[in-house]
Amino acid sequence: MIRTDKLSFRIGEFQLDQVSIEVTRGEYFSLLGPPGSGKTLFLECLCGLVKVLSGQIYIDEKDVKNLEPRVRGIGYVPQDYALFPNLSAEKNIAFGLCVRGCSREVISRKVLQAAEILDIGHLLRRSVYGLSGGEKQRVALARALVMEPKVLLLDEPVCALDEATRQEVCAQIHSVQRQLGLTTIHVSHNLEETFSVADRAAILYQGRLQQVGAMNELLRRPQNEFVSRFMRCRNIFSGQVSAQEPNSSNTRVRVGGVDLLVPGKHRGRIKFIIRPESILLSNNPSSGSVDNKLQVKLICSRDFGNYVQVELKGPLDLVAHLSHAAFAELKAKLQTDLTAVLQAENIHVLPE
Amino acid sequence: MRAHPDSPVSSRRSHIFTAVCFFFLAVFATSVLLLIIADILYIDKKAVVSVLTSSFIRDALWLSTWTSFTTTFISLLFAVPMGYALSRFRFPGRSLADSIVDLPIVFPPLVAGLTLLVFFSQTALGRWIQEDLGLEFVFQPKGIVLCQFVVTASFAIRFAKTAFDEVDRRFENVALTLGCTRWGSFWRISLPLARNGIIAGGILTWARAFGIFGPLMIFVGSFRGRTEVLSTTVFLEQSVGNLEVALAVALLMIFIAYIALLTIRLVVSSSMVKL
Repeated sequence: MIRTDKLSFRIGEFQLDQVSIEVTRGEYFSLLGPPGSGKTLFLECLCGLVKVLSGQIYIDEKDVKNLEPRVRGIGYVPQDYALFPNLSAEKNIAFGLCVRGCSREVISRKVLQAAEILDIGHLLRRSVYGLSGGEKQRVALARALVMEPKVLLLDEPVCALDEATRQEVCAQIHSVQRQLGLTTIHVSHNLEETFSVADRAAILYQGRLQQVGAMNELLRRPQNEFVSRFMRCRNIFSGQVSAQEPNSSNTRVRVGGVDLLVPGKHRGRIKFIIRPESILLSNNPSSGSVDNKLQVKLICSRDFGNYVQVELKGPLDLVAHLSHAAFAELKAKLQTDLTAVLQAENIHVLPE
Repeated sequence: MRAHPDSPVSSRRSHIFTAVCFFFLAVFATSVLLLIIADILYIDKKAVVSVLTSSFIRDALWLSTWTSFTTTFISLLFAVPMGYALSRFRFPGRSLADSIVDLPIVFPPLVAGLTLLVFFSQTALGRWIQEDLGLEFVFQPKGIVLCQFVVTASFAIRFAKTAFDEVDRRFENVALTLGCTRWGSFWRISLPLARNGIIAGGILTWARAFGIFGPLMIFVGSFRGRTEVLSTTVFLEQSVGNLEVALAVALLMIFIAYIALLTIRLVVSSSMVKL
């Protein structure tokens, strides 16, 4: 288990500001954020590679803030892996064990075990210069794993890999993590990568923690506009509450010249989001209920492989994600008039 | 000239650029070779025999060799920790310290000799070192090493700093998380990775120490059999009109220096292949 309590660190103008997270034993936790948000710095604080300004770091309930990196029990795989270029793959993996003064038998056994788990036995004699990105990644992971760390920190471990290798390596990291029950923090800026491995995630922006939760929660119930945008939702609107719905827990909100029903009781101005995949599109104007129905025009469509993104112009400018089947069924061309239905239960009001 | 297999496809204009680069390389290399050939043509057999058989030249050669290697060793002893400190640590006065390291490089060598002479003969601390501690440098062989060190150590330090600058700090960070102390990460990771740069600095230091002349004449003089090194032999011989002997000694120095540089370069490049 690893926990930080109001962890702060300053470097120049940038500050990690009171970051508190808790990762339970055996959990796969992801730290998300755009480049420059302080993710790597946060990992370096956990490793003890920089001195924190204030706050606490606990590993298995022991305060490690003032301990040297070597005794914290952390396995660290930095971005670009930092394999020692003067050592072979095998010596890289064995490095920590040699430093600890383990016997040759122990070193050999543990290196072979790690190599077997990560399927890199054939790479052991190779120089790290000739290894591919995926192979380097596995060697770096093996180097961290042989030390049997309490916590594994992975800094953008697959960002330099191609899409296919990335998926393969992510699956392998996840499987090893589950197999060993390792508490893991995986830093990334890639949503697909995080979805494929993480139990929970935190979003960091400009050194501040924005939200912590399960991936689905971050997706459906973002705490603020930044999290919404980071989770790729562009349908963010601001409106004025016009009426409370009688006999209902919904509120009517005036936005873009139309009244929308949004869930919950609210007052004044509110901000809300509509997930792009929750927007229902039809070319039949009379379909669905009368509420939250907008007449829109298709102005752009882009195929992203596993979904089609459509941009819609109307009282509210919307972006929707449709499956290929749903898009084909619409038989829609550019400038086609469509009906967009925004179900109240799929509208999320931002708390701020 | 055949292009290297990994050279990019190049146009006629690129060939002109390559030709210009090679032109300057050829002019420089040819000029140096012509100067050496001129020396070789000037000397006669008698001068060569004299150089190879005379005992004072053997003494000067031995003195030049051991002092220059001792200086290189001491310089590297200073250069490695100093280069690491300047590369890795942020401390008050770091820029000042960094500039002071470079100061002896811009010193005219004669000034270095003069300064040392003034320090050891005119200051209380200098006299105390010489007289009370018994560490005599002025007009002594020890002074040769001190003089060479003052003039050349900066090269070793500068090269060491640059070599450590080029070692990615993340290697050290990972080593720290893998159980190393700061010393351990330096010894096991940074030093091996910076080795080639440090050796290059050592080569330059040795070459400069081997050929140094001006400050030695002032600080230790040129006493035959005691403080005379090869470079001062060249000066002494030419000043009494033995130009052939002076040139023969100079050629001997060039030959030794070339063999030493070539050997070290081969050792370094073979170790780089092993990396």
